[in-house]
Amino acid sequence: MIALAVVPVVLATLLIGARGVAAMRSTSDFLVASRRVSPTLNAAAVSGEYLSAASFLGIAGLVVKNGVGALWYPVGFTAGYLLMLVLVAAPMRRTGALTVPDFAEARLGSVRLRRFSAVVVLVIAGLYLVPQFTAAGQVLTLVSGAPYWVGIVVAGAAVSITLALGGMRAATYVQAFQFVLKLVLFIVPAVWLLVAVGAETRAEALRPAEYSIFPEPTSVTFRLDTRLQVTAPVTVVAQGVPTTLPPGEHVAPGEATWVFPAGAAVPEIAGVALPGSDTWQRPLLDGGNGHPLLATWSILVATALGTMGLPHVIVRFHTSPDGRAARRTAAITVGLLGSFYVFTVVYGLLGSVLLPELYLSGATDTAVVALPSRVDGGVAGDLFTALLTAGAFAAFLATSLGLLLALAGAVAHDLLPGSLRRLRLTALLAAGVIVLCALPAVRIDVGAVVTSAFAVAASTFCPMLVLGIWWRRLTARGAFAGMAIGLLSSAGVMALGLVLRPEPGLAALLLGQPALFSVPLAFLTMIAVSLRGRPAPGSDAAMLRLHLDETSPFVSDPDRSSAVRR
Amino acid sequence: MAVTSPQTRMALATRRAGPVTSLDAEALARARRVRRAQLRVAAGTLVGAALLLVGLPALLDLLPRDWRLGDMPVVWLAVAVLPYPVLATLAWVQLRRAERVE
Repeated sequence: MIALAVVPVVLATLLIGARGVAAMRSTSDFLVASRRVSPTLNAAAVSGEYLSAASFLGIAGLVVKNGVGALWYPVGFTAGYLLMLVLVAAPMRRTGALTVPDFAEARLGSVRLRRFSAVVVLVIAGLYLVPQFTAAGQVLTLVSGAPYWVGIVVAGAAVSITLALGGMRAATYVQAFQFVLKLVLFIVPAVWLLVAVGAETRAEALRPAEYSIFPEPTSVTFRLDTRLQVTAPVTVVAQGVPTTLPPGEHVAPGEATWVFPAGAAVPEIAGVALPGSDTWQRPLLDGGNGHPLLATWSILVATALGTMGLPHVIVRFHTSPDGRAARRTAAITVGLLGSFYVFTVVYGLLGSVLLPELYLSGATDTAVVALPSRVDGGVAGDLFTALLTAGAFAAFLATSLGLLLALAGAVAHDLLPGSLRRLRLTALLAAGVIVLCALPAVRIDVGAVVTSAFAVAASTFCPMLVLGIWWRRLTARGAFAGMAIGLLSSAGVMALGLVLRPEPGLAALLLGQPALFSVPLAFLTMIAVSLRGRPAPGSDAAMLRLHLDETSPFVSDPDRSSAVRR
Repeated sequence: MAVTSPQTRMALATRRAGPVTSLDAEALARARRVRRAQLRVAAGTLVGAALLLVGLPALLDLLPRDWRLGDMPVVWLAVAVLPYPVLATLAWVQLRRAERVE
């Protein structure tokens, strides 16, 4: 029943999407809504697109699992727009390029660089899209008992139909609508939860006791194979069979349900802080590697610098009419995102107190949606579960729309010569491929995988954009080398970490969150290689015109300059 | 056959023909001035952002965790709430200063 809450969200998305069809006529219209969107509407659309499943569900889940330090993630997500405002928003818009690969070609005049950028877009969009669909499947499984694949297929169908019918023009209104929807569906349940839990739980959330003893018989369904450190002999009911576990390490198989008796000691998991423990309460991200400050900085570098390199975010700024409007859009977005993220702490702290057993099961991404029924077993609980489910679904839809557009744009527009028909077809095909990738990916951690997409963006597009806009000596060869090194030292290193599975420690931290060294490495490579070569003739002017505002007597915007020439 | 608006057609044609790189000397001089002024503005905001993103985590690691404001630990407030108004203020100031340069 509760799963039906997603129906109005999907319908509204389709309806608003369909309204945009009449207005859409060309590839340019499809991609950037012909650039006639006001800063406030565009900022709402940017925020709507950006607040993904990772924001709506993932961060609260990470607070349950990793502690209060996980609240640095949304700080980095918001700071990304500040850096975008400072470094890229207005000049980037003035290039007149439609996508990041377009920017690469417009600024540096290299078709090869454009193709390589399109490949990077595919990597980032893939890393970002798969967890969105995974989260959709998980939430629907939780609230309806429907199989995991149903949620993924429903999300994929809704997203690709909207895209194919309306494109970005539709997406601008869809995203702006979804931002308002998500904001309301996040804040209202948060306030209700705060009131409904009562003073005792509120006080407990602010002074959490370590979750070391099961207060009541607790049933845990393990999402993955989990290594448990049992400290005292305990008799659990494993899959209905009572089993006594001696102290030591035990592996609970994935999908198995174990019932722990009241009063038993909670088993520990290596590298994960017990909710409420001292490590958990520390305001830094500690992934069990023993270097919390480095881990926090690494996440902040990846998220704050990666935002400007996310392909679906950058294309959104081209829907602003000029550089000034793009800058205003970025500034308003910082405020809008802040007003959303300030409420994540409510779900994180209440989830840790009321649903600490998620720490064992690993299903922390479901904490937000699981909270209302824990607080109220009646109609109110069901109602708020439905609202949060709708909000979470809106989050997958919005982000997936923008990402599929960027993905389809990269394939149809940059890698192949594009027509409108092919762009639509590509969006549909891309959705199909992502659905297929998400089906076996039930085991991934939504927040962690999304952050790896940020790390890749921060190590590739961020240096290319920043240096391309502010440094006249950047060469196409330098940009290519820097992006290649950045891609290897981010995506390559993370893949290596998955294969090597190092012991917790500094090596594991650097392999898992490489942004701290991969971003400087990409910048340095780009600078060093560029200094050895010569910038193309006219590259000085190509850079400087990005800093001329459209209102000056020297018109620099290609749209307007062509209008003047006519 | 896709029907495009004149602006769209011109934008696409410009894109195919490559960027407009010929600016006259006067425009170039002005662009240089603007870029340098914008860099100064950007540097100020970047220092503020660095203080928040690099400095605050380091500071919070040192502060005692039993300081409370109301009932909430100060270090929790400093990561959960404080950064957002700071970021919004930095964005506002940056926007005003950048627009004034132009």
